[in-house]
Amino acid sequence: MSKLSNRLMQTSSIVISLVSFMLAILVSCIIMLFCGYDPIFAYSVIIEGSLGSVRSFTNTLIQATPLIFTGLAFMIGKKATLINLGVEGQMYTGAMVAALVGMTPLPLPGVIHLLAALICGVIGGGLSGALIGFLKVKFGSNEVITTTMLNFIIINFCDYLVNYPLKAEGAVAQTNKIVEGALLGKMIPGYQLTWAIVIAVIAALVVKFILEKTRFGYEIRAVGLNMKAAETAGIKVGGVMMKAMLFSGALAGLCGAVHVTSVGKRFISGFSPGYGFSGISVAALASDSPLGIVLAGIIFGALKTGAMYLNMMSQIPTEFVSVIQALVVIFVSAPLLIRALIGADRKKKGGQRHAE
Amino acid sequence: MLNNVTGILSTMFSMSIPLILAALGGVYSVRSGIMALGLESMILTGAFTAAVGSFYSGNAWIGLLCGILGGMIFGLCHGVLCIRYKVNQVISGIGLNLLATAASTLLMQIIWGNKGNSEAVASVNTKLTFLKDIPILGDIFSRQSVLLIFAIAACILSWFILFKTPFGLRLRMVGENPKAASSMGIPVRRMKYIGVLVCGALAGLAGAYLSIDSLNMFVRDMSASRGYIAIAIAILSRYNPLSVLLCGSLFALCDAVQIYVQGYGIPSQLVQMIPYIVTLLVLAFGVKNIQPPAGVGKYEDE
Repeated sequence: MSKLSNRLMQTSSIVISLVSFMLAILVSCIIMLFCGYDPIFAYSVIIEGSLGSVRSFTNTLIQATPLIFTGLAFMIGKKATLINLGVEGQMYTGAMVAALVGMTPLPLPGVIHLLAALICGVIGGGLSGALIGFLKVKFGSNEVITTTMLNFIIINFCDYLVNYPLKAEGAVAQTNKIVEGALLGKMIPGYQLTWAIVIAVIAALVVKFILEKTRFGYEIRAVGLNMKAAETAGIKVGGVMMKAMLFSGALAGLCGAVHVTSVGKRFISGFSPGYGFSGISVAALASDSPLGIVLAGIIFGALKTGAMYLNMMSQIPTEFVSVIQALVVIFVSAPLLIRALIGADRKKKGGQRHAE
Repeated sequence: MLNNVTGILSTMFSMSIPLILAALGGVYSVRSGIMALGLESMILTGAFTAAVGSFYSGNAWIGLLCGILGGMIFGLCHGVLCIRYKVNQVISGIGLNLLATAASTLLMQIIWGNKGNSEAVASVNTKLTFLKDIPILGDIFSRQSVLLIFAIAACILSWFILFKTPFGLRLRMVGENPKAASSMGIPVRRMKYIGVLVCGALAGLAGAYLSIDSLNMFVRDMSASRGYIAIAIAILSRYNPLSVLLCGSLFALCDAVQIYVQGYGIPSQLVQMIPYIVTLLVLAFGVKNIQPPAGVGKYEDE
């Protein structure tokens, strides 16, 4: 036991993440008991519904795709000390721009058309991210508030577009369908899964490469670790922050662009159940490692898929997954709390007292 | 014409109540050195617990009390995370905001079986009707909730407390320089807890106003980012309770104009952007040289 707690004393980020996740799951079990459901039954249904068959696993990957993108987007901002709550809005921008390009019949081969839509989405998202960076660097505006405001502005404006000028025929507020050739292809015939998940994994690898092997990545990490030292070392902190927000927004924009060219097939009003905010939990659970984000995205995607399956069989609302996600953010950010809960601190204090 | 003006002013005052109360809460929190980014969660929880309290008791005043308590619970959580466990104050606030949104939506479905809004509950119906015989002013104020008087009184009282009493001086000192405050024997942690608890109570009351005073039900995500707007108000008023009154009314005016313009056939999606655009512009151009208290995010043992 003492060996175990000794090891826990230098609690690594993986342990913190694991314990946080288990605690959040535990809380969700208490919620289920409170609603009169057997948590063991519920979680066996969730595992069955998310990993039990090829079809359910492909559904999990579909749910995981946007979470990987938004997790990466949030993480890049955080590495440069910026809390980008605007991932949601930047994703809407990317989705709207990509849908606009995708639904316009252009004399282009399908793949080029698709690429054009994705790239335009990336640019749209990136610019709306860079705007936040600009306000932060130039005017010192708190990015948490400006992003929240910009989210409302962007989402309302997109809502206006799909309700009035761009509205397709019919009752639903949505744009016209994206041209068939410009849609992402299916990975396995007969399943809904598209190549979107592959793009997400590639994005994670690219982010890992940029952060670890390029000068830009080095600058971001330097700013995040110690802003003053970075400045002394000749790094232009403001410029790095702007570029980081551009990068973060670009990933969010790619998320939206990939969504409309795969699952959505068009821009539908209010298509996101808060993917941008789930990204915060994904980045937290992965303790900001790019490949960890892929795994964390799949874990949360599985939970969501399983929860929807569970919802069909019982009355348990799927929102308990959001509670788990919120708790993960809180627990992961409080390593001192986790250490106190698993008793590593008590041992440490005891040891100190002994030494006295 | 006059009717339009009194109509807009009347809406402005009723929209200003939650903004002023929440921003005043933010002032207490920031003055004690804790960032108020969890305001949104405290407003939303206050709105939810107020509706629950009113639903089960059938008495709106008990609901109001529950709203205050709900806000205080989230204020306390924010306090414990930030003060005791030294969590990054921004992340703690955001985590709590996410939790409040998720938990209120979940519990709403468990209690009322509905994802969008609660059942109708008892609402506070005490209006300032005794003013109705005064010309013009009567039109503006007679339909206002009694909480308007409370909000104004709270701001004036808070100004007195913060700037004219020994307690206020200590609270501000903790916010400016916790180390110095600690060396003078001021109980730094206790002062910070008081700051976040008062913040939670006021924000909870703001939420309760939204759910069981201006409406008679809880609606999903009904705080609609007012917590973030309230932070902008607190910054713009330089963390001074009297200026909160003025700045809160200015932001409420945007809300009132927005509601007024909607009657003229402009798509609501565009009009609803107004308050958020104004907040964004204010943050970009209006607050450049405003510094928060120097000790925000610092602790006495650092």
